[in-house]
Amino acid sequence: MLLLTFSDIGLIVTLVIIAAGLGLILKLALKGKEIDRRIIFIFIFFSVASPIIFQIKFSEKATAVVKSIYDKIDNLPEGSKILISFDFDPAMAPEVQPMAIVLGRHALIKGHEVVFMSLWTTGQSLLTEIINEYILPDFPEKQEFIDYVTLGFKAGNEGVLKVIATDFKKMFPVDNNGRPLDSIPIFDGVKSCSDFDLVISIGGGKPGPKEWILFVTDPSNIPMAVGVAAVIAPQMYPYYPAQVLGIMGGVKGAAEYESEFIGNYERFKDMKTPGLLTMGPQTLAHTVIMAFIIIGNIIYFRKRKKEAKS
Amino acid sequence: MRKSSLMVLATVATLFIVSWIFKGIALEDIYESNYLQGFLLTFSAFLTLSIMSFLYKDNPFYKFSEHLFVGVSAAYAMVVGFWTTIVGNLVPRLSESLSNFFQIPYQEGTYNFFYYLPVIFGLMLLMRLSKKHGWMSRIPLAFIIGTTAGLNFIGYLRSDFTNQIAATFIPLLGAAGEWKGIGDFFSNLSLSAGGQLVMMLSNWVIFLGVFCGLIYFFFSREHTGLFGKASRVGIWILMITFGASFGYTVMGRISLLVGRITFLFKDWLGIIS
Amino acid sequence: MRIKYSFLLALFLLLIPFSALIFGQDGAAASGETESADSLALTLPAPVTNLKAINTPNDHGHSFTVTWDISADDGGGLKNVLFYRVMRSDNPDSSFKQRGENKLPRGASTYQDNGSKRKESDDFSADFTDFYYRIDAITIDSNVFSSSGIYGPVQSKGEWYNTGRTPVLVAVIIFLILTMIFVALAKKGADLYIRPLAGIEAVDDAIGRATEMGKPILYILGLGGADQIATIASFTILSRVAKQVAEYQTKLIVPCYDPIVMTVAQDIVKSSFMDAGRVDDYKEESVYFVTQSQFAYVAAVNGTMLRELPATNMYMGKFYAESLILAETGALAGSIQISGTDEIAQIPFFVVACDYTLIGEELYAASAYLGKEPILLGSLKGQDMAKAAIIVLMIIGVVTANIGGETLENFRELFKVIN
Repeated sequence: MLLLTFSDIGLIVTLVIIAAGLGLILKLALKGKEIDRRIIFIFIFFSVASPIIFQIKFSEKATAVVKSIYDKIDNLPEGSKILISFDFDPAMAPEVQPMAIVLGRHALIKGHEVVFMSLWTTGQSLLTEIINEYILPDFPEKQEFIDYVTLGFKAGNEGVLKVIATDFKKMFPVDNNGRPLDSIPIFDGVKSCSDFDLVISIGGGKPGPKEWILFVTDPSNIPMAVGVAAVIAPQMYPYYPAQVLGIMGGVKGAAEYESEFIGNYERFKDMKTPGLLTMGPQTLAHTVIMAFIIIGNIIYFRKRKKEAKS
Repeated sequence: MRKSSLMVLATVATLFIVSWIFKGIALEDIYESNYLQGFLLTFSAFLTLSIMSFLYKDNPFYKFSEHLFVGVSAAYAMVVGFWTTIVGNLVPRLSESLSNFFQIPYQEGTYNFFYYLPVIFGLMLLMRLSKKHGWMSRIPLAFIIGTTAGLNFIGYLRSDFTNQIAATFIPLLGAAGEWKGIGDFFSNLSLSAGGQLVMMLSNWVIFLGVFCGLIYFFFSREHTGLFGKASRVGIWILMITFGASFGYTVMGRISLLVGRITFLFKDWLGIIS
Repeated sequence: MRIKYSFLLALFLLLIPFSALIFGQDGAAASGETESADSLALTLPAPVTNLKAINTPNDHGHSFTVTWDISADDGGGLKNVLFYRVMRSDNPDSSFKQRGENKLPRGASTYQDNGSKRKESDDFSADFTDFYYRIDAITIDSNVFSSSGIYGPVQSKGEWYNTGRTPVLVAVIIFLILTMIFVALAKKGADLYIRPLAGIEAVDDAIGRATEMGKPILYILGLGGADQIATIASFTILSRVAKQVAEYQTKLIVPCYDPIVMTVAQDIVKSSFMDAGRVDDYKEESVYFVTQSQFAYVAAVNGTMLRELPATNMYMGKFYAESLILAETGALAGSIQISGTDEIAQIPFFVVACDYTLIGEELYAASAYLGKEPILLGSLKGQDMAKAAIIVLMIIGVVTANIGGETLENFRELFKVIN
């Protein structure tokens, strides 16, 4: 017998309602009735809200641009040094926070030494929240200063990058808690960003991934990966694969990484996957938007035909 | 104030208080200051809904939230700017007594007197407020523009120019620059993403895209004949790029909406776990 | 008693490197595969060979680059080399110290020894001072290792010119020469052709339409400061629009985001009215300052659009997140819209919501086309030539890429910029 889960029933109900609604709109539109824009808003709201309530998930498969980041972290020898910069604010967080969480988990489970920092003022509180509430509870064995360290926010935008590209401790004499970097084991042998085996910038504004490429990783040939808000993802592609080894574009990139990660690590099989969960509403909302584009075009061409006749 | 407006205001206020009380009670086991947390959560939800109400039409709730946001973010940026740039970066290099005053470690250095320059420049920038001495602000401004241009110059030319040109040197025949003849090509034909055919096609797209895009932005010749055709292809490629960009933007905006709705359903209403 | 023991120990330690030289290779040859790992570890490995240390090129000094060929027992032979240690001293005979906090893993054959430039630092490495290097190949027991011969003396120094950036210099010089030639030609009055742009052709029609309808023209200079190229290009276009507006006696509205931009815009509009011989028609309040808060500015401009219902909206300059909000409101108000920006992320929004869009560089081209300024014209021509050069390089590059191998590598090398 076919067993339907709660999500499946939700999906079916949602699809039926949306299809019926769209059909009705198409019928009204063909009759020549103006469709109020607020109707579109209601559809989008419904198609986003319903998958959230029913926790509808679709499967994802990592594409080459995302897989290359995953493989890089997976294949680095244990104890490699990774620098992750959280260059975003709460407004961008729903898109890029899932990337930050899954990257942090992956780097720690592989036994790498991770340094977290931020170039955005508002990144500081997000940094603390993400590390303390999402990443560390899964790794009680990891010790601060030995396995990871939080440098926090540093003002100066590109200026900070320009300096840390050659002299890390000049810009960050102390960590987030005021502890001198010279006394932190992770920074043994770290003089500049060149001493990291991988640099990852997660963000989407300025300063962000682009500035990291221009001022730090491209000049010194440091392996660089970026996780960016969807809006600027197309602007990152020219750097791939020569100047960045991989790109996670928007929540789709995050979802792909998550699915790769939970697929390979039994321990995290049941972890929360905000990226994958966001892809449910995304898929439905995109379908609705596409339907509206098609309806709009049908109406437009019919109108044009009529005008041409008259 | 009209009667209908008063009624809307009263309804919103009542809902707000009800939500505050319910949230306060619900959070009793989690927080010590449960009513404060309840207020904060309710207020966040109120602001979210106020902003969303703009989709219906412009209204005072939306305006209130917008102005609150503008004001708070301006103040936040100013305070953080003071504590991170002036206190965080400048003071520890400027003077020991000032560092002690702000309780941050003094950073000793041989050339610390250089850091008085930014102080002077900063003061000169503030001269912009005076009508008579406003000209002084131009000097540090020139310094800022000049140094930023110089700093960016190398970076952009390297990463966005020479390296990008070098990245277009891609083989158009064969995937990795080895063309083993047409027979080999057809006998090993595959449609997989890593296959020779797909790699070759994507290389062609990159080459033609850059080529025709450059032609489109060539202003010294009229776009007619073959040149015009290449330029047409160029604008098509640009439009496809803009379309991709637009699609990505839609995805980004939906993600933000998901973030807000999740907040409303999970943190505020508690209907999902 | 104690001195005697110390002496013996020192002698023993000194003998280790020699014993490596004497017994190392024989031991390696004699060792069979049956030997256990423990005994292997105690056998001295072959030292590294071909050790070289040079001053790191293209830096600020205080750094050496050390290279060597790995020990014969690293990965092959006895396979007992696990680490390398880079040792340095300012005296060839004694007091060698390990450089770097950690030993290098096996397989390593290069090390960049960066010292500090600060005198007060423990790690200070003076320029123009003789240093000597030695590499130790270390087994599982860090006391069992064999040292290489000593290399030196070498001195570090900083360089004034970074040869790694030569491609950038060459590109700049070529571009500069091209621009200067064309600017000179333009100044001499040479007729430099610039193709017409659809967006600019539409400006004339749009102004005509506004005049017929008796409605105003709204001109937005964007959010950029007066120093930004997009804003400067926008000024030139504004000057042309204002002149035509003065001739047709149409109303012009220019709400500004930046006070400095506003001052410049007022001057420009005024002089355009003067050129058109209608200085009396110029009203200073038509160019006004709104606010420097992004969304408050948008709200104010949107309000103006809905109240005044301009026949034409023009958005030229630097735009950010407000682009779509402005253009959408304008489209709802039924205005003809012409836009132009160099902010790539915002172009898609303008393309969908406006009738004409000047894409990126077209904005600069439009200002050169309208303004006929020799400097603008010359630099535009220079850029065109640079683009032609890029196309040629691309074609050569693609051909070499198909040849592959050394030809491609050599050609790519020309574009390689090293820090």
